[in-house]
Amino acid sequence: MWAKLALNRLIVSLAVLLTLVAAAGAAFIWSGLYNVAASRDHFSVTTWILEKVLEQSVATQSAFIETPPLDDPDLVRLGAAHYEGGCVPCHSRPGEPINVIVSQMLPSPPHLADVAAGQPPEELYWIVKHGLKYTGMPAWPAPIRDDEVWALTAFLMELAGGEMDNYRQLAGLDRVPSGALAGTEPTHQTEAVTLTQCIRCHDDAAVSTISTLVPQLGGQSIEYLERALKEYAARVRPSGIMQPVATHLDDREIAKFADYYASLDVQPGQHVIDPARIARGRALATEGDPKNAIPRCLACHSRSRAAEFPALAGQHADYLAGQLRVWQSGGRNRTAYGQIMASIARRLTDEQMLDVAAYFASLPPEAYRNDAASASPGSE
Amino acid sequence: MWNRSLQIFATLPILLIAAGCVDVQSALNPAGGEAERIHTLSWILIIFCSVVFLGVAIATMIALFGSHRWRQRLAGERLVIGAGLIFPAAALSALLGYSVMIMGMAGSAEGQDGLRISVVGERWWWRVIYTARDGRRIESANELRVPIDQPVHVELTSADVIHSFWVPKLAGKLDMIPGRTNTLTLNVRGPGISRGQCAEYCGGAHALMSFFVIAMPPADFEAWLVRESQPAAVPADEAEIQGHALFVRSGCGACHTVRGTNASGTIAPDLTHVGNRHSLAAATLPNNAEAFARWISDNQHIKPENMMPPYEIYTERELAQLSAYLESLR
Repeated sequence: MWAKLALNRLIVSLAVLLTLVAAAGAAFIWSGLYNVAASRDHFSVTTWILEKVLEQSVATQSAFIETPPLDDPDLVRLGAAHYEGGCVPCHSRPGEPINVIVSQMLPSPPHLADVAAGQPPEELYWIVKHGLKYTGMPAWPAPIRDDEVWALTAFLMELAGGEMDNYRQLAGLDRVPSGALAGTEPTHQTEAVTLTQCIRCHDDAAVSTISTLVPQLGGQSIEYLERALKEYAARVRPSGIMQPVATHLDDREIAKFADYYASLDVQPGQHVIDPARIARGRALATEGDPKNAIPRCLACHSRSRAAEFPALAGQHADYLAGQLRVWQSGGRNRTAYGQIMASIARRLTDEQMLDVAAYFASLPPEAYRNDAASASPGSE
Repeated sequence: MWNRSLQIFATLPILLIAAGCVDVQSALNPAGGEAERIHTLSWILIIFCSVVFLGVAIATMIALFGSHRWRQRLAGERLVIGAGLIFPAAALSALLGYSVMIMGMAGSAEGQDGLRISVVGERWWWRVIYTARDGRRIESANELRVPIDQPVHVELTSADVIHSFWVPKLAGKLDMIPGRTNTLTLNVRGPGISRGQCAEYCGGAHALMSFFVIAMPPADFEAWLVRESQPAAVPADEAEIQGHALFVRSGCGACHTVRGTNASGTIAPDLTHVGNRHSLAAATLPNNAEAFARWISDNQHIKPENMMPPYEIYTERELAQLSAYLESLR
């Protein structure tokens, strides 16, 4: 009897206490007394908790990621080139101070050389791909493009390796004519500026691309170039690197670039020294692999075919094989043209992708206009 | 409760009759030698089994409700030996012998005078190859034409996985096995059309892998074969010419053959005379311009997982031109 009475009293007191705490909490929230100003740092205990949660979360979430080889210089250069356009506004170039305005963020974006030095590559990859809540770090715009995220990770690993004195060359800043507004300026200005943005990574009349993972655009048809840029802008061709660039272009600018690159001669492509591979690639390109329902590549990728289909002769082998892998992982099947290639790319083996990429890279860029096209039995 | 069961039993014969109504694909409506023999055998087995079932049911009723005298008789050793051992052994042996005899009665090897027909199962369609007396190879797809009232040997094989060739109206099913040729003999009575189906699960679009067998009087068949061996019709009007240009520009010839043009692909059905066929996409769609247009742009919804990429790149006008060209291939 007495025990029961004591229990009842305890429950009532607890309920009253909880109500008071909740009311106090609500009063605190609605009073607006908590200062959210970025100009004032967190309490040190808050900072400790936030940093610990972030650290543990990144470690746990990235536990099962497997890191591919990242020491390919072309992968590093692709990463560096994107770093220049996508990351520099907040994280600054290596060796340069953080932008004064940006540094007033809380937390302020760190110098990545410091971050990368202590972090395993899979954690960097995870952060680049997913971003971090409440820090201002955005997620990758095209999450399906793991290949791009790894390129940036490769650059960050290079950055972690110590003093980087070749950044300007890695990121293609030395490719842009001196005097032109380069680097951080938005692309949406004069044509001169926009073109300097393209040639920082892509080919022009004098040089090939900055990396074999960046496609050569010279000699592609106007139709193909316009289609590609519009697909990037409409976000149906996912790319965390090209989407941000293409979104800023209007139709008139797109037409200008297409004109420029269509009239440009192709630079020689990546050299692959493996005659056996090239020979196997040639067989696949000219005859296909009917047993596995793979049509010959030249049926569509030759000059006598629809201009919307890209020309492949002289294109980098690394880029071609990389795109075929993107197709296989479902990254390019959201466009009408991409769907055609998607079902064929799925049937290719890893070896076949490398073979056929090597073959097209080995062709002289002008091959399509005559030899290769007329050599294929179905062309006209 | 009893009413429900009765209702269900009562619907069974109706279902059978309804199945028989589907005229083009019913084993209960045989139109060919082997199918007729299978049909006869089925009825003999059904009647035999019904009689035995009835006998057993009567014996059971006697055992449960019969007078003492009748039950004594039922328990006698003679009945056990006679009806339990001798009768089943004799009856089943006789039935086995009969069915082996009846199923072995393929038509004679004569009568085909040199024409060879082979059907290759592909994922998920049928490659049909006629090898004429003079050795000419005439390829078609998803439709088999045969002369009536004579045994026609069809060589069956597969290009990839195991398929099974079954035209219920004409014959039993026969598997198509990679690396092996099975021969099926069709002997169709009277001109007409029968539908067949792949009867061995072969992956994604298996359920939509069907075909038609069109039986014709021998003279008509010969005339048809001559037409079929001709190269494709030359596009005549403006739409067809534009359609042909699109066909070439889009690389369709990488997979499809249109004899008489540069399109020489062997991966997909031969389209030389596709406009003449009874159906499209292995008996999935009717053969008309609208179906061609739907198939080109939306085939992955019509027949999911089929090997042709969807071509959503065309405008309505271009689709109409392509369809006009394909329809003109008669």
